[in-house]
Amino acid sequence: MSGRVIVITSGKGGVGKTTTSANIGTALARAGKKVVLIDTDLGLRNLDLLLGLENRIVYTIVDVVEERCKLRQALVKDKKNPNLCLLAAAQTRDKSAITQEQLKNICEELKKDYDFILVDCPAGIEQGFQNAVAGASEAIVVTTPEMSAVRDADRIIGLLEAREEIKSYKLLLNRVRPNLIKSNDMMSVEDVVEILSADLIGIIPEDTGIITSTNKGDPIVNDDSSLAGKAYNNVARRIMGENVPFMNLEENSGVFAKVKKFFSGLIGKEK
Amino acid sequence: MRDIFQDLFNKVFGFFRQAEKEENAKDTAVNRLRVVLMQDRTNLTPELLEKMRGELIELLSKYVEMDKDALELNFEQEGNQMALMLSIPVLRAKDEDEIEDATEKSEETEDAAEESSEEEQTENSGENSGAESEENSECQEESNEKESNTNSKNKSK
Repeated sequence: MSGRVIVITSGKGGVGKTTTSANIGTALARAGKKVVLIDTDLGLRNLDLLLGLENRIVYTIVDVVEERCKLRQALVKDKKNPNLCLLAAAQTRDKSAITQEQLKNICEELKKDYDFILVDCPAGIEQGFQNAVAGASEAIVVTTPEMSAVRDADRIIGLLEAREEIKSYKLLLNRVRPNLIKSNDMMSVEDVVEILSADLIGIIPEDTGIITSTNKGDPIVNDDSSLAGKAYNNVARRIMGENVPFMNLEENSGVFAKVKKFFSGLIGKEK
Repeated sequence: MRDIFQDLFNKVFGFFRQAEKEENAKDTAVNRLRVVLMQDRTNLTPELLEKMRGELIELLSKYVEMDKDALELNFEQEGNQMALMLSIPVLRAKDEDEIEDATEKSEETEDAAEESSEEEQTENSGENSGAESEENSECQEESNEKESNTNSKNKSK
């Protein structure tokens, strides 16, 4: 087996890299794939919290690198899904505790036994980013329809293009608010895609369910009724090569969708 | 129910806003981002652009009389291609004597790069003499880097 290594990155902090990693990883595992999530945010680890695994971590990635344990021992199995496991970041060390070469070796090793290795990248463009990207051949750039996030995503795309080992990158637009886009108060999906001229792999609507799912340590893809959960599931299916159409957020945004449509039909089509 | 009214309000209000040609928050964001990304990507600062603008005015005013304040120099993006758009409101094309005068003056100091544009310009000046004064002539420089990434990106299978 030779798994795919995908780095999840964004440049700007707080746009949902870790949430995205946890959800795509869980969705892929639910689809029967063997998945490892690697948290490379040394000193600021959070992926364990989102998965509800914070109490199960014995060894971290730094322990593996410094040979205090075998790679296999450091992989924490998910509570719900046996296909999913986590390689946690060390909380007491900083980014310089591992090198690009070491992370590359870990990814190579994991590729043999797993279908997908998802690397959750820290914010910024310094060593933490360079480390996270080192072992990957694909990237997902997470951004939101906000100016600062888009600008940072553009920087990241520039850096990814400069790295030969990254064969492809895709854009994931997070925290999309259809109502604000409708009223022309927020950039639309099309705007962001055009500005960054990158291929889209997912559109995730803003969803308050994310907050509760984080609080519970249970990724939202496990909730079949959630819109954001469905959107993340679609991303996972696209990663696996399925051709899944992007969902129409406007239609899904309320019970009165049809009435609204009728009204907007009267007033005339928006651009 | 509130949703519908809010939506309706936004639509109607949005319609009027558009009629007034007032820029909405979204357009402001898109335009500001375009400018800032252009600078990020090219390292062309506003100062450099201003300098370029000044030099272009100096060069072009040898051949045409133009509305210098309305000259626009902007980056525009179409898909993966970047273009430097120069929009010059031409008031009047100069006649050959005027052009000769102007080039003689500058030949003492200027380089060969202008000579090539001189040829083009003299060809055009015949046609242009009858052209409307308000016509904007556009000059385009494109970086012809083809969309090489788009192909490779599509292979997700």
